[in-house]
Amino acid sequence: MPDFDPKFVEQTVARIGRSPEALIPILQRLQDQFGFLPAEALEQVCALTDIRPAEVTGVSTFYDMFRHAPVGKHVVRVCVGTACHVAGTDKIADALRRHLHIPPGEDTDAEREFTIESVACLGCCTLAPVVKIDGATIGHATAERVPEIIRDFLAGQNRPATNESTEELSAVGANAGGASATIHVGLGSCCMAKGSDQLFHALRASAARSGAQVNVKRVGCVGMCHRTPMIEVARPGAANRFYADLTPAHAGALLQAHFRPRGLLGRASSLWQRALDGLLVDTEPPAEQVARAEMKVRDSGVQAFLDRQVHIATEHFGRIDPLDLDEYVAHDGFAALRHALADLKPEEIVSVVEQSGLRGRGGAGFPTGQKWRVMHGQPGPDKFVICNGDEGDPGAFMDRMILESFPFRVLEGMAIAALATGAHAGIFYIRHEYPLAVRRVRAAIATLERRGWLGDRLLGANHPFRVSIMEGAGAFICGEETALIESIEGRRGMPRLRPPFPAVSGLWQKPTLINNVETFALVPWILRHGSERFAAIGTAKSKGTKVFALAGHVVRGGLIEIPMGTTIREIVEEIGGGVRPGRRFKAVQIGGPSGGCVPARLADTPVDFESLREVGAIMGSGGLVVLDDTTCMVDVARYFLQFSEAQSCGKCTFCRVGTKRMLDLLDRLCTGQAHRSHLDELKRLAQQVGAGSLCGLGKTAPNPVLTTLRYFHDEYEAHLQGRCPAGKCTALIKYRITADCTGCTLCAQQCPVNAIPLTPYARHHIDLDICTRCDTCRKVCPYNAVEVR
Amino acid sequence: MNDCRIQIDGREAEVPAGQTVLAAARQLGLDIPTLCHLEKCGPLTTCLVCLVKIDGRLVPSCGTKATPGMVVESETEEVHAARRTALELLFSDHVGDCLSPCNLLCPLHLNIPVMIRQIESGDYEEATITVRQALPLAAVLGRLCNHPCEKGCRRGANDDPAAIRELERFVADQDLAHPTPHLQLRASPSGRSVAIVGAGPTGLAAAYFLVRQGHAVELLDRHHEAGGTLRHLAESALPRAVLTAELDLLTRLGVRFKEAVVLGHTHQLAELSGRYDAVVLAIGELAEDEKEKLGVPLAPTGIKADPNTCLTGLPGVFAAGAAVKPVKHLVRAMAEGKAVAECVGLFLRGAAVRRTDKPFSSIMGRLDPGELRLFLQHGNERTRVDPCSACAAGLKRVDAEGEASRCLHCDCRSSGNCVLQHYAQTYGANADRFRSKRRPFEQQMQPGGVIFEPGKCILCGICVKLTELAREPLGLTFIGRGFDVRLGAPLNRTIADGLQKIAAEAVHHCPTGALCFDEKAAAQHVSSSP
Repeated sequence: MPDFDPKFVEQTVARIGRSPEALIPILQRLQDQFGFLPAEALEQVCALTDIRPAEVTGVSTFYDMFRHAPVGKHVVRVCVGTACHVAGTDKIADALRRHLHIPPGEDTDAEREFTIESVACLGCCTLAPVVKIDGATIGHATAERVPEIIRDFLAGQNRPATNESTEELSAVGANAGGASATIHVGLGSCCMAKGSDQLFHALRASAARSGAQVNVKRVGCVGMCHRTPMIEVARPGAANRFYADLTPAHAGALLQAHFRPRGLLGRASSLWQRALDGLLVDTEPPAEQVARAEMKVRDSGVQAFLDRQVHIATEHFGRIDPLDLDEYVAHDGFAALRHALADLKPEEIVSVVEQSGLRGRGGAGFPTGQKWRVMHGQPGPDKFVICNGDEGDPGAFMDRMILESFPFRVLEGMAIAALATGAHAGIFYIRHEYPLAVRRVRAAIATLERRGWLGDRLLGANHPFRVSIMEGAGAFICGEETALIESIEGRRGMPRLRPPFPAVSGLWQKPTLINNVETFALVPWILRHGSERFAAIGTAKSKGTKVFALAGHVVRGGLIEIPMGTTIREIVEEIGGGVRPGRRFKAVQIGGPSGGCVPARLADTPVDFESLREVGAIMGSGGLVVLDDTTCMVDVARYFLQFSEAQSCGKCTFCRVGTKRMLDLLDRLCTGQAHRSHLDELKRLAQQVGAGSLCGLGKTAPNPVLTTLRYFHDEYEAHLQGRCPAGKCTALIKYRITADCTGCTLCAQQCPVNAIPLTPYARHHIDLDICTRCDTCRKVCPYNAVEVR
Repeated sequence: MNDCRIQIDGREAEVPAGQTVLAAARQLGLDIPTLCHLEKCGPLTTCLVCLVKIDGRLVPSCGTKATPGMVVESETEEVHAARRTALELLFSDHVGDCLSPCNLLCPLHLNIPVMIRQIESGDYEEATITVRQALPLAAVLGRLCNHPCEKGCRRGANDDPAAIRELERFVADQDLAHPTPHLQLRASPSGRSVAIVGAGPTGLAAAYFLVRQGHAVELLDRHHEAGGTLRHLAESALPRAVLTAELDLLTRLGVRFKEAVVLGHTHQLAELSGRYDAVVLAIGELAEDEKEKLGVPLAPTGIKADPNTCLTGLPGVFAAGAAVKPVKHLVRAMAEGKAVAECVGLFLRGAAVRRTDKPFSSIMGRLDPGELRLFLQHGNERTRVDPCSACAAGLKRVDAEGEASRCLHCDCRSSGNCVLQHYAQTYGANADRFRSKRRPFEQQMQPGGVIFEPGKCILCGICVKLTELAREPLGLTFIGRGFDVRLGAPLNRTIADGLQKIAAEAVHHCPTGALCFDEKAAAQHVSSSP
């Protein structure tokens, strides 16, 4: 990281601005540059701008991304989202700390090589547990693999940067002009974390070398995250073929299997490439692997995964290039906006949305048309439309996927909203943890501006509409609309009391329409197909579809869009393929920290706003984490409360102190120090925090506790007696090596804290005073001789 | 603007449109608690102790505008429970004692640190008022009290506790040396009469507190002089003249003494009940042969009396002190007399009879050495005054002032003015409901005399907003997020740096003791300014 340089601060301020709303972007820039916010830099910001020192300190200590101490050379971010948590992320964090010699209570090792941070959710839930080291995302991490992960990462550092960024490709992207065949490569950030960008480049390189008449094409999220990297080969006159779980080494064979090289020279070089590919893969020739990776669409798994889905927000998923405007237009893109501009009065647009029954997809399910109508009725020309892309629920990544895959669609929805409500300015508020989404939306805006479709004349018509992007700085609470407004205005994201609602008085006290990403993404379809078509999908009060991020203990995790009213059972068992063999489906967690746990016995509950509320959960933004019988429900409740407590803005008493005290009580339960009176107090306090808190975060924070108390009371009772039935609460469990031990020493070798003395050919024993319950011994034992009690 | 009619707890209120529910409630005389509310700051909606229920939802009344036809619930059990919980949550993260341990340990709850500071500044008249407010027969207690207060003195953890009893005696003796010793104020006559049977410590204390409430009090005793067991003490322990002087004060307050009254013998209880509005039995330990003649229900230890109301079960007849159960210490016996006086007072006013709650206080408990050091800077380093040189003649003036200067001022500077403390008492909050590991006590002495105690800050945001409104060059801000939010000055500066213009205003409006002025530094500041 470069040293502090006052010139850089000057330049940054000169470029971004001196007024209060410039504060967060300035701090972000400084942090990017220096790796943290040096005190001198903050002093300088105060001196150079009109921003009050109190704001500078207040804001720079509010958001997670800002650091006030230098970082190490590399930053390791451990995702603590729901899916990662239930997959054991805490053990990975422990292992990383041990391996990197980071002392307890600190975040950086003495040599300042590595800094470890936890991040609320990286939104790669199907790859859980996930660790990100600098720019590299590593999925399916385990504690045992930590040394290997770090070794690979450091080895990669020495390699010259080869992978050309997929974002810098021209939007058209065709590398074989006029080719009739296409290979679609899913390039969402989850896919990329599993190497699909390398595959993409390998395919392009192979195609170029072999001269194959094929267009290797970037597409957005393919939904089936459990099988990525995944491609679809489309050739005229032949059925499309899918390949899953590919690696770059498969590229040559894949092309060879489908496309004949052109000319002798090409053939020669392709043969050469094949030989090379053959060398790279040591077990079997890539061609055979390719054959095995092929998925038949009629393969029951894929069929089941796709069958129940209806793609509206994710229309054309896996087929179109996220940034290819012409392709979007060719697929009816901007037809809805054109129709709105040409044929509809603003209040008619509002009516269509009203009649469609569309409700906000951000969580609360407020009728969208009603919001638009209020906003439409506000006088004055200064109005704002904000797209809320601050998707902070751990275990949810729908909005990231939509922004990455369909930026034009969201922009079109926003533009329609602006037209309907009389707004001329639009703002995207996107989490900074979603860099790819930010890049793609930025590129999409630039493309539209170049074409003259955004700016002074929306789609060439007489309606100015300018769109900008504000990156969040790491605060879950900023998903709450009034906190989001505070954040855009450059302040600490502390919610305002409503009313007044933003549609009346929002950003800069002007009428402001705030809708979630998915809500906007549904609007173009509604205008194209009419409100009746949309209202025909779903249930009486919940119309249309909902996108869910299906993750956790489920066989086929991924991104799905289903009609409202689909039951939990259909989602988990049919789409998701149920839990892993040998395990029992226990519950689903819907709605993240504001939602609840619905037990398996209520799996026939249809997914719609009212039914979910009846069982104590909420729709939320669409995180759906499946839990099997290895999950401790008290631990799950504690996990979510820990999240809410950490993300509370700290403004109101009930949320700031109440969630903390609830967490204290849950900590007691999970460590076997609770009495019945503590359990009673937990129930009482949960009710009061829910009733008394100022904003939605505090009001809903007790939901995971209340629902688990309701459906899994027996587990709370067990914890009162000092037992954790699922064997998750480390303070309540003991590891023991049984008589089945052969003395193979594997556990003793792998134990990271040397709690198992090495006794070859004799039964091993665990020193429970040293043991950290990291579970490594149980996992490595080839004889199942480690038991947990 | 048009007025807007709303309904609060079934009563109509009319406020100008745009006014808050809080303003409407206050107009009706409802005391909705608020901590973060200050008109000029606008609604900060942080403390949430002003909750009311509207349309089935709890909302902060300070930030909710009244709209026509609104129906509000305010003084209901549910709303009170929510407000109480908000207060209790604030106390669960409140680091500091409202009252000093000595004050809390005193059965009569003498405000000892205040008395000590008054002695230290030579303000004996004020000190006398403080002492006589709480103590009946102050000069007697100043000699005989077993001083449980000194056991709690925080100075004791460093060297020796302050000589509190000697200081008490010093104040009372100074007062008695005056030609007309101080008489506490008494309320205007209530027209109600009380007979107190037994003129021992409990009866005398009951008389002292009842007569000050404005009731006509008659002390009836079998002996021809008042004093009970105090009469049998050696002259060296309690000079007769001191007792007489203190009893004279009672007489001057209006207590009438009647001798030769033996209950069950010369007078019957029923007769007294008929003649007086209330009767207090404070006859001391019961003699075996007289028990049955008293005419009251008995329990194994003495007269049967409800511990919460002091009522014997007979209408208007109360009992207290050793007559009910053995009392070991003089100060305890007097505290029983005070308790029964409070119960009788409620009875005579027609209110529900209940022993008064202990004064509310947030309690820090044991201090670690670093925390103790913070307090030690407020006390003089001198050693405790030698009690032997004091015992016969009492402290000399210079010794008293010197001893007083040893006090560490461990009570909160805001106690008595603290809004949080006030509502905690009113709402019967339990400061210990959410017991948890407390944060360390911190105290930042600022140049200019402001003392900042972060642990007492409830993050109401008033001072933050005031600095913003006043355009303080630095101002104050919230630092951090969630449970760890703290108040501070920006850019690692001090609170004083943040309060260059409006320190006095910020201290004045702080609802707790987080921002205070150091009295000593403030006094110096005043004397040094022209």
